[in-house]
Amino acid sequence: MAIVLHDLTKIYNQDTDFPITAVDAVSLTIGAGDFVAVMGPSGSGKTTLLNMMGGIDRPTSGSVSIDEVDITGLADKDLVAFRRDNIGFIFQDFSLLPVLTAEENVEFVMQLQGHSASECARRAQELLREVGLEDRMDTVPAKLSGGQQQRVAVARALAPRPKFVLADEPTANLDAETTHGLLDLMQRMNENKGITFIFSTHDPRVIARARRVIVFEDGHVTEDRRQ
Amino acid sequence: MRARFAVSLAWRNVWRQKRRTFITAGSVATAMLLSLFMRSMQEGSYANNLDNATRFYSGYLQLQHPEFSESGSIDKLLPSDDAFLRRVQSIDGLTTAVPRLESFGLGAAGSKSKGVIVMGVAPEAEDAYSGLAARVRHGRYFAQGDENAALVGGRLAKYLEIEPGDELVLYGQGYHGATAAGLFQVAGIIDYPNQALDSRIVYLPLAAAQRLYATGERVSAWVLHGENVRGIPALEAAARATMDGIGPTNAGSPTDIESPLETAGTTNTRIRVRNWAEISPELEQQITLDRVSGQFLVLILYGIVGFGVFATIAMMTLERRREFGVMLATGMPRLRLIQLVLFESVCLAATGIALGLVITMPVLLWFYRHPIPLSGEIAAATEAMGFEPIIPFSLAPEIFLEQVQILVVIFAACSTYPMFRIWRLKAAAALKG
Repeated sequence: MAIVLHDLTKIYNQDTDFPITAVDAVSLTIGAGDFVAVMGPSGSGKTTLLNMMGGIDRPTSGSVSIDEVDITGLADKDLVAFRRDNIGFIFQDFSLLPVLTAEENVEFVMQLQGHSASECARRAQELLREVGLEDRMDTVPAKLSGGQQQRVAVARALAPRPKFVLADEPTANLDAETTHGLLDLMQRMNENKGITFIFSTHDPRVIARARRVIVFEDGHVTEDRRQ
Repeated sequence: MRARFAVSLAWRNVWRQKRRTFITAGSVATAMLLSLFMRSMQEGSYANNLDNATRFYSGYLQLQHPEFSESGSIDKLLPSDDAFLRRVQSIDGLTTAVPRLESFGLGAAGSKSKGVIVMGVAPEAEDAYSGLAARVRHGRYFAQGDENAALVGGRLAKYLEIEPGDELVLYGQGYHGATAAGLFQVAGIIDYPNQALDSRIVYLPLAAAQRLYATGERVSAWVLHGENVRGIPALEAAARATMDGIGPTNAGSPTDIESPLETAGTTNTRIRVRNWAEISPELEQQITLDRVSGQFLVLILYGIVGFGVFATIAMMTLERRREFGVMLATGMPRLRLIQLVLFESVCLAATGIALGLVITMPVLLWFYRHPIPLSGEIAAATEAMGFEPIIPFSLAPEIFLEQVQILVVIFAACSTYPMFRIWRLKAAAALKG
């Protein structure tokens, strides 16, 4: 599944005297199965870029095509369904639903997809086993460590069988050992299942593992290298 | 998302802040306790007073000639024979039916005279129904074989300066223009709860009244009573159904040779069913006014509680802006999210209502079984009005339904703003926190 960004621009406060250009005419193509890090300083526009790639935010101009579907032209209702079925999200602060157990958090998106209760439970348990949390399935997030919560978040992102996963600074709140464990996990998913991972990060440990690094500054791509 | 999962999620969200939920549910429950206590007491009193008041005068319902209420004419009467009584007694839900013959006349004793209301009653049946014998202050009630006995209202007796044993002349117009004149002996003086009637009422045994007015076996009204006040609409419907389309010619026995309706020269052969509110509109207005004032107080109380409910629901929503952003980002349709918040409001309302019922029901049940007794001057005044000196309580389902309806409206109104905020929420902005 290729993601093609064409002349993508996002300007905030466009109708005021102080417009802010977060992403400025970016064109990129990310191939299926890639493991990409988008790096740059805080405020460089990384999160805005990822949000537009994931259909969470709409660009001021330009387009995002995923498998030749121009998601910028989709109606809200269709975009929600597209996002739910094709894109997994991992957030910096894990963003698990605090009242649900690990298993229920993983089931959540599958519930939205309309799978049966038994199918949701079976897949959630399978994914939690894959991320090494088979003994914490009935535990609520508050009783999990940061690393465990992020592993639940990875399982949740993978639950709807997405084509690619967008991770916004997924290791920012993790210690070194946990970060390596999480990166091992995501790399394994990438290699075994062919899922495309795109990270926004300024964590050198993540950048070191990426096969492609896109450097982003002031809304522009300043460097795009393979390693 | 399956409904069960959504409801489970909503329920757990409600209990994320246990203390806040308890405070909100507690305030709802307290408001329910106070308003239900007041409304139960109001409706219990209305039902009790209405039952007492109607027994003495209007009954729950009256069957009358269709033109009697407008004309008050002694010519507009109904039968009182056994066949008609059987028909009346076939009305569903009827517990009591007593005949009355009411007309006007001039009452005179010595050198004094006054316009009076003459009420012919079946002595035993009337006493069993309205407790008329217990109202006798001086003298005695009607006895078997009393043919010329009269009971006189206290104020009327005072005006006419008569006592038990004195003679009373009644004079007026009888059936179809006949002259009505009779000499009666005062058997007793009664205390009538209504002052206006106390100064005008004269009770006669029904047979004596029928003889006085030459009406034969006819009465001006059949007074009907049912199980309780709540059953009045059903009783009224049953009475209409039973009496629908019949006049005395087909209501009574074939030997009913004269039809009062026909002789009255009317083409309307239906028997009129009048309820207590039609007969005593002032009593109905009094109850309505009192009820509305009670409901207004209840609304003020719930209005205050509503602010607390709004604050809770608003906080439950606004403090989870980022969480909602995550849900929208991961593919939750906006309408489902709004539905979730609505479920949360329903769960909170259900908790408050359930708690309210749990603390209120034992209190109301106690007072329902043990009405508050009145004492001293209030009790005397209440008894003088013909009412029992108690404050009874009602457990009518309508009172509870009324509270639930008010709370549903409050919670629905309080949920509107958070739902509007979610409708306008941008996932990208929400994710920034």
